[in-house]
Amino acid sequence: MITCDEFFAEFADYMENQVSPEIREELTLHLSQCRACQVLYDTSLKTVKIVTESGSFELPHSVSDPIIDCVMAKLRKERS
Amino acid sequence: MSFLSEVQLKDKFAPFAAFQAGLGFVPNLVRAQTLLPRLIEAQAMLESAVRLREGAIPRVQKERILLIVAAERQDTYCIALDSKILSSVGLSDVQIDGFLADYRNVDLSESELACLQFCLKLSRHAPSLCSKDIDALRACGFADESIFEAVVVTALAVYRCTLSLGLGPEPDFGPRKLPSTRIDQQRGPAPHGSLSDSHEAAQRKGPYVRAPYLSPKAFSPFAIVRQSHGFIPNFFRAQTLRPDLLEAELEAVGRILLPEEALTRVQKESILLAVSAANLNSYCVAMHCNLLRGLGMPSEEGDQIAVDHHESNLSVADKGLLDFAVKLGTRAQEFSREDVINLQAVGFTEEQILECVVVTALNNFANTLQMGLGIEPDFAPPAVFEENKVHLADAVATPIDREGRMHLVDVLQDLDAELVAQAQGGKLEAFEALVRRHTQLIYRTLMAMLGNPADAQDSLQDTLLNAFKHIGGFQGRSKFSTWLVSIARNTALQRLRGRKNLESLDEPEREDEGEFRPRQVRSWADNPEQLHSKSEIQQLVEAGIVGLPAKYRVVVVLRDIEQLSTDEVARELGLSVPAVKTRLLRGRLMLREWLSPHFTASTRGAVK
Repeated sequence: MITCDEFFAEFADYMENQVSPEIREELTLHLSQCRACQVLYDTSLKTVKIVTESGSFELPHSVSDPIIDCVMAKLRKERS
Repeated sequence: MSFLSEVQLKDKFAPFAAFQAGLGFVPNLVRAQTLLPRLIEAQAMLESAVRLREGAIPRVQKERILLIVAAERQDTYCIALDSKILSSVGLSDVQIDGFLADYRNVDLSESELACLQFCLKLSRHAPSLCSKDIDALRACGFADESIFEAVVVTALAVYRCTLSLGLGPEPDFGPRKLPSTRIDQQRGPAPHGSLSDSHEAAQRKGPYVRAPYLSPKAFSPFAIVRQSHGFIPNFFRAQTLRPDLLEAELEAVGRILLPEEALTRVQKESILLAVSAANLNSYCVAMHCNLLRGLGMPSEEGDQIAVDHHESNLSVADKGLLDFAVKLGTRAQEFSREDVINLQAVGFTEEQILECVVVTALNNFANTLQMGLGIEPDFAPPAVFEENKVHLADAVATPIDREGRMHLVDVLQDLDAELVAQAQGGKLEAFEALVRRHTQLIYRTLMAMLGNPADAQDSLQDTLLNAFKHIGGFQGRSKFSTWLVSIARNTALQRLRGRKNLESLDEPEREDEGEFRPRQVRSWADNPEQLHSKSEIQQLVEAGIVGLPAKYRVVVVLRDIEQLSTDEVARELGLSVPAVKTRLLRGRLMLREWLSPHFTASTRGAVK
């Protein structure tokens, strides 16, 4: 069976489902028998889900609209 | 006299001794490379491992493959050489003449004949190869090991023919009588499939042969590849059935591509990209676009080389170098000493020309292997290349029409195209609509780079003004959103330069960073999102992201919040896909460390 280091080396591609069937089989086998890597895998997936669904750094229209209006006003003024 | 000068090397030069031992002499094809002995070392490694080492296919059949591919390519040098070698492994001159006259009418078993037909198709029509061809081999009793070896021997044959036609060595032996009909016209069945046939394309999905997992710990060449490329490409992973061949191949690739004593890495990668594109090999196009990006070439420039290098920003001399390589790589029969003289006239040395020939041969070796093994892509090829592929197929089949090919760049699908055209015509409403469509993307890019909402909002205004100022120069070679992100990046960089503690976005990964390993090993709650309110989670995530080093922050924001694909992030930041993957993993793991205390199974209560 592969080691934790070897699992970690393939970890990024495994998370993104970008490994060949042969490698996936090895990694899944390791995961089923290694508690530490299982926790790492599970919590990393949850991290991505939480970050993706957090709606972070969304600029509210109440902030973005005045900025865009100001820019367009400048451009129209330059035009005229 | 070959096209290039030769120098005397000691007879004790190890590769010469290897050829002497393996073939009984040192072919002139090898002597034609004495200006750069490391290239001879590369060829010796490939020939020893692929041709001479015992494997699943008998030596005599390997020699038949080498000869039939040379005959199909009308390479008189290799035909004479390989006929002689075939006679040294037991065939009479009469048998060889009969084989060359019509290989189907000599005494071959059904499986030997099927193997030769497969190899001929791979050499001649590699893009149309599909799983049906592999099935046909299996039906004749071929195991994965034999199929793999047939592909590699064909790739070696293509490598040697490209070398021979590009270097013009003196014949080692008298010429052979060639058949009156060309080998490809002797073949019975038409190739399965065509590029435009989507059903066949689905069947083409590989990989065609088994590839057992090989750990970088157990196989040290993989550890070296990971260090140099940042990852192990599928191209190498797909060849693990024969680690000994793979090791020889990696050694050869290293000797050809890594030293910069003649051509630079960028020039060599550009050759590999342009010739792969001409061979319609999406896998290799994607790979070399990424490697060029890793060497500092902007994405659009790589895309342009893939579609038509004449319209790229390369120097006139480098465009000449690619013309030379593409002609040798795709229309080698038309190649002559005059092509070498023309390249010398624009300033290239004999060493550089020799290296260009060998890099082109290596490219054709790699393209043949990739298509023969159905190796799955590591990254998406540039959209402009895929969209133009059918047209490029015509362009490759017919003399290159520069005007026609230049036009191909403009067909990139972009939903913004109409509004962009209106904005370029001065219509402010169109510009405003574009800006409103992409505000969040611009803001998140700025926020990711600057890590501070006030700075990001100020820079948003500057970005929009800069975008309007330069929109006339937008040529549609990338998506409009990509172009907007590049304006936002430059605007943010200007602001960062004004800061005392400039955070670097471009510094490469350091060795010690490779050791970053997660510390938190406590499991999280089953539904961690339910432990805190939505706004608490948003605050936590934003604080965690702002606390990341800038180079990780920008990748995490674009990939996980803006939800661009890894390839899109790489393009928008001018990074290679492997670099993005590395930064993304580190950024995600750092965020995981940050979030862990708040989401473990026992966590309760408000966010601090």
